[in-house]
Amino acid sequence: MQKKYSVLFIILTACLTFQLHAQSYKLPLYEKFKLKNGLTVYLMEQHEVPVINISVILPAGAIYDGEKAGLASLTAAALKHGTNKYTKEKLDEELDFHGAFIGTTVSKESAGLSARMASKDKNKIINLVKEVLLEPTFDAMEFEKEKKRLLVGLEQQKESPRSVIGAYFDKFIYGDHVYGNIVQGKIATVTPLTVDDVKKFYVENYLPEGAAISIAGDFNKDEMKTLISRLFDLWKKGTKPQVNLASKPIVTPTKQQVLLINKDDAKETTFYIGAPGISRNNPDFVSIEVVNTLFGGRFTSMLNDELRVNTGLTYGANSRFNALKNGGTFVISTFTAGKTTEPAIDKALEVLNKLHTNGLDQKSLTSAKNYVKGQFPPRYETAGQLAGLMTQMFWYNFDESFINNFEKNVDGLNLEKANQIISKYFPKDKLQFVLVGKSADIKKIAEKYGKVTEVQIKEEPKKGF
Amino acid sequence: MKKIFLPFFILLTGIAQSQMKADDVKTFTLKNGMKFLVVEDNSIPNANMYLFYRVGSRNEYQGITGLSHFFEHMMFNGAKKYGPKLFDQTMEFNGGANNAYTREDVTVYTNWFPSSATEVIFDLEGDRISSLSIDPKMVESERGVVLSERSTGLENSPWQVLFQTTQGLAFLEHPYHWPVIGYEDDMKNWKLADLERYFKTYYAPNNCVTVISGNVKFDDIKKLAEKYIEPIPSQPTPPKVNIVEPIQTGERRVLMQKDVATPYLGISWHVPAATHEDYYALSILSDILTSGRSSRLYSSLIDKKQLATQVFANFGESFDPYLFVIAGVTAKNVHENDLEKAIYEELEKIKKEGITESELQKIKNQKLMEFYGQVETINGKSNNIGTYELFFGDYKKMFDAPAAYNKVTVEDIKKMAIKYFTKSNRTVGVLKSNTEE
Repeated sequence: MQKKYSVLFIILTACLTFQLHAQSYKLPLYEKFKLKNGLTVYLMEQHEVPVINISVILPAGAIYDGEKAGLASLTAAALKHGTNKYTKEKLDEELDFHGAFIGTTVSKESAGLSARMASKDKNKIINLVKEVLLEPTFDAMEFEKEKKRLLVGLEQQKESPRSVIGAYFDKFIYGDHVYGNIVQGKIATVTPLTVDDVKKFYVENYLPEGAAISIAGDFNKDEMKTLISRLFDLWKKGTKPQVNLASKPIVTPTKQQVLLINKDDAKETTFYIGAPGISRNNPDFVSIEVVNTLFGGRFTSMLNDELRVNTGLTYGANSRFNALKNGGTFVISTFTAGKTTEPAIDKALEVLNKLHTNGLDQKSLTSAKNYVKGQFPPRYETAGQLAGLMTQMFWYNFDESFINNFEKNVDGLNLEKANQIISKYFPKDKLQFVLVGKSADIKKIAEKYGKVTEVQIKEEPKKGF
Repeated sequence: MKKIFLPFFILLTGIAQSQMKADDVKTFTLKNGMKFLVVEDNSIPNANMYLFYRVGSRNEYQGITGLSHFFEHMMFNGAKKYGPKLFDQTMEFNGGANNAYTREDVTVYTNWFPSSATEVIFDLEGDRISSLSIDPKMVESERGVVLSERSTGLENSPWQVLFQTTQGLAFLEHPYHWPVIGYEDDMKNWKLADLERYFKTYYAPNNCVTVISGNVKFDDIKKLAEKYIEPIPSQPTPPKVNIVEPIQTGERRVLMQKDVATPYLGISWHVPAATHEDYYALSILSDILTSGRSSRLYSSLIDKKQLATQVFANFGESFDPYLFVIAGVTAKNVHENDLEKAIYEELEKIKKEGITESELQKIKNQKLMEFYGQVETINGKSNNIGTYELFFGDYKKMFDAPAAYNKVTVEDIKKMAIKYFTKSNRTVGVLKSNTEE
């Protein structure tokens, strides 16, 4: 007993004066340069394992879909359908045989490619990356197969509330702004797409002047610089400048409202409560992250503590800011059994109110700051993570000071500022509710929170609600 | 500087990297029987602690199904010194985060923290292992949490229903019969006494292996372990799981209804435990079938015949003989029987013609890249070392794995297919909208 007591005492004392004095995390050295065609290149040597990682970011996201939702996504997938020198089959075989990987993705604003290879295979695989990006052939038969799989996938998504709620929410909150575009597309818009649509989308949007490639891993920087310059100098600039569709103003909701997505066989209610958020270049970005950590960003957060730990209403509740270039959203996200829909929503709102009414105290702010700092270095531990970070730096226009000053910026957040962050960035009213569940059981409850628009999960998301 | 600490790739590719040796994992065992494996790695100012307990749903029986997983949750709900909520609050205050997972065979607790918090983590773990305090009120609210966990899994993924039911049919007697999450009615009826007995029996230091990787010093870890963990008394060895699943003598089939776009199919064959000599060949066979777009099943079923939109295989380590699973989702307007037949045709090809040398080399190359991925992070290191220690009986077996994989021949792969992919050894599950047709 005695021994235990003294240990307790020491730890409490330590806690009161606790500061993370572990050596601060600094971004390893990297080199950044531009090719003549405008492509930005980042190189970072990392010799821990004999592997090279590539990350490419391109201005070819779903915001450029126009009326053809799903086009950006299918174009990214179709890059791997064969190149001038390799059929799709041959390409797959080459990659698999070397244990290498080339993957393409698409998000709202951008398209991306990531690749991973053994460093001894770099000449071969980086050449494949170049072929996939610069010389895709967009085989018509492969496109039809991809489209068919996507259509089944879109139908399958409707089996899982978690998979569709985000798209509904964005559509609900962004309205007609291109940030409301549904990345995966809709059955009605994907069905008529042809390989010519993809070719056109590629020509218009896969442009070096708006793109960046970052390479991190086991290589020699000078050799890599020569290789990349040789391969990617061939990439031709676009003939006309891309229009920045996302720069249009985002119309913010003027009243509290509810979108109810009926799923007849639902046993749970999955819901988001949200509001407009921040853009990635917000000067308070780091401070907002710290405050959100306390509110809904970790296990002991106010939301999870109330909805999971205290009441057992759910397996998990969280909140986050989704930040894009020109705007973003804030969302509280959780799920509960159908019959506990009302207490769960009320609890979530109560916690949000509490944040505004009570603000933060010094101890919890210190805890959040320690937590955010302590969990920071593992986010940039591997060469793959670092390659991804560098393309993010390009896309959102920040540099290594974000990493190197992170601790300092976190430490600089005092209680007064933190409480200002709450009133400035966390919504109080005009909340937007999106509920996926069994309408017959929860519609009455939904009406409590605002005007209800009801749609069927089996139907397609509409343009506006 | 981080360094790779295993010789895996030397054997596979012949690159000479002489600095790699088993000695990079340092170990000690406390007087109470808890074994520690430590890897010093100062690439980031962080460390982790993974605690592997030899307990899982395999140790349950009907009436208390799901209790291992529930217990995993209760380990966060208060002990003597750090009462309810304080485990998580203290860890997060000190910059740490945690999680845990429960499988059929093991329950694993994972702590990730700045290495400056190492002593606090020891104190927290020591407290809950020595004197967990199970509060009846916490039992009730946590029961709601795991019921929600079960329900949200079923709500969002048809696979969960399919695999639980198929596994239940493949194992009629062995405890792999029930799902890790438990039966809903058992979940509603666990008693406090069950939890207390479980704690005493399975959460003994001698039933646990702890792995620590990161910016720490072996000598410091040893001192902390002696201070915080060694005083905890050991317990009698937990009862053995005696049930051996009788040999399956005929194909088993099961059909499930759920409102899905196209039918889901899962086929399971009984295969041996991780310590069996066939493990490595089966692992390669699994990759031959579904790893990458050039793999046999992806190329044939998704690409060429367009019978499926997804296909994957699952084969992993287990304490007792478990399952080799091949699963897929049928394409639009395809009958699941046609997909099933096409899978068998591909397996028959391997049984008759075997695979090519180049295919085998491809998988060996992929295994190498997979390995690099596992040792690139301190978490990958801890998880893999711990898994080898528990499932293969000794973390050093990880050093033998390269040789074991390299020894596998095309002939071995053919033998595996013939030995295990038989009709009478398989259990077939189908999940679809219309089960009346």
